[in-house]
Amino acid sequence: MTGRRWKTFRRNRTALLGAFLVGVMIFMALGADLLAPYDPETRQDSFRAPPSSEHWLGTDENGFDVYSRLVHGARASLWTAFAAVAFALLIGVPLGLLAGWRGGWFDATVMRFVDLMLAFPSVLLAVAIAAVLGESSLTTVILAVGIVLVPLFIRQVRAAVLQVRNLEYVAAARALGARESAILWRTVLPNCLAPILVLATLSTGIAILDAAGLSFLGLGPPETSPEWGVMLTKAFRYLRHAEQWILLPPGLAISFTVLGFNLLGDGLRDAFDPRQSS
Amino acid sequence: MIFALRRILVTVPMLIAVSLAIYALTDSLPGDAADMRFEKHPESKAEWREGRGLNDPFVVRWWRYIGGVVGDFDFDRSYLDDQPVGGELVRKLQATFELTVIALILALLIGGTIGILSAVFPRSPIDYIGNFIALAGISMPVFWLGMLLIVFAVNVLGLPFTSNRVDPLLDMDEFVTHLYIFESVVRFRFDVFWSCLANIALPAIALSSIPMAVITRMTRSAMLEELGKDYTTTARAKGLRHRTVILKHVLRNALIPITTITGLQFGGLMGGAVLTETVFSWPGLGRYIVKKGVEARDTPVIVGGILLVATMFILVNLIVDLLYAVIDPRVRREA
Repeated sequence: MTGRRWKTFRRNRTALLGAFLVGVMIFMALGADLLAPYDPETRQDSFRAPPSSEHWLGTDENGFDVYSRLVHGARASLWTAFAAVAFALLIGVPLGLLAGWRGGWFDATVMRFVDLMLAFPSVLLAVAIAAVLGESSLTTVILAVGIVLVPLFIRQVRAAVLQVRNLEYVAAARALGARESAILWRTVLPNCLAPILVLATLSTGIAILDAAGLSFLGLGPPETSPEWGVMLTKAFRYLRHAEQWILLPPGLAISFTVLGFNLLGDGLRDAFDPRQSS
Repeated sequence: MIFALRRILVTVPMLIAVSLAIYALTDSLPGDAADMRFEKHPESKAEWREGRGLNDPFVVRWWRYIGGVVGDFDFDRSYLDDQPVGGELVRKLQATFELTVIALILALLIGGTIGILSAVFPRSPIDYIGNFIALAGISMPVFWLGMLLIVFAVNVLGLPFTSNRVDPLLDMDEFVTHLYIFESVVRFRFDVFWSCLANIALPAIALSSIPMAVITRMTRSAMLEELGKDYTTTARAKGLRHRTVILKHVLRNALIPITTITGLQFGGLMGGAVLTETVFSWPGLGRYIVKKGVEARDTPVIVGGILLVATMFILVNLIVDLLYAVIDPRVRREA
């Protein structure tokens, strides 16, 4: 980020709030082992107990410590989301770059593929992919969510390349005798990074929501694993028996994390592209 | 006219590709419902597969399936009991459709109003409320919002937690569709109508959270853009009343992007409703696909269900594009 952009970003209070929320969640995920007083999958001596000095957020129906599960859940949720977005970047960026750069039949084929993927409602597509992948685990969720995100990245990168490809500095690079691949990777790609960064940030939030949704539909990790979607699902199933505030910790954790990524993404967009800001 | 024809023609290969994709995807499902059914008689499974034509090449099966869907509206038979799945799919689709329409109306009324007001009164309390709705709607998991609504309704409002579309004690033998709200109005059965509204309220509120966020944001920015244009200044300079300028001039132009975004939301909601349907045990298509299709591995339910939703999605987008051309003549000329 250059000085001007950094200045715009730093003055944007909601963007800073977003960065703060994301920072807290990353801190929780990295330091989960130190922050959690108990193992998230070890039975404590009480079931469905209200918050106390020993168990800050009480215990759940398995006798697991809710606070420890919440902290470890940050790790599971962020890992899932980052891995899914990384997968989408890995597939989407090269395809989008080549489609925008080459044009012609390659571009047409890739874009028809994008249209096809976008014709399916994303949640149902993720469900179908998760079903095909078989076993319900975090890996399945990562792949299902990642695949659903791919068309968004292809479209965004292609649009960015189309804006850049006819600018003077690309012509200059060509006039200097640079090879096509060098122009594409060293000149075009760096100039498309801003929209990619914005989309990656915003889609991390989408990935967290989609992953929690898949867990809720029973296509996620096993029931004892410390993951926010799983925690919500179980809290809901035992709602008639348990204290109802048990819905709050995992739900608030998901909401604030996604809110953080949304605010951060909006802030980055405002900093990089003042024209698009609202 | 040429624009409309061309736009409609593009839809056909899209539908073919979508059906091929979903058929191919589910073709690689590990195991299916028949494994369980023939667990004790593996030899009769081979016979059953042969009888159902499941050993034919992929393209042959797909062509036969499409022929059945297009020709007889036949969505193949269940792998569990060999009964046609089409009827149930359409019944579930109607339940999802009704939920989606009510949610979208809510989103449009509330989101649209708040969006307009927050553009007219920037930095006022209503602007902050709009901002909050826009952010909360896209950050909260919709199924969590549903859970909170249930807890609220049961504890604070003292409502019994039931999960029906309509009071089961009402006599509804005469109803032919599963679009209960619509049909009850047509038949003047207002007892059914009110019962349906009472039952649909919570799931519709939950489902409307995402489109409400998007519509609030979109309305606000579209209104702000139009408010800054020269014709608005002209209208004001002519001495028109503030109200007239806002409602007759600015809002009418802002309606174009709002229509588009609403149409797009509708398609997404049809498929995205699965989470809301699961929380509220709403007998909709998404929940049916997950329960009867994915969990029981009944492939025809998955294929038919997703094909129906994707078709709805594509058709709604088509209608939005055509409407767009009607509202905005510039689109027609460009095409």
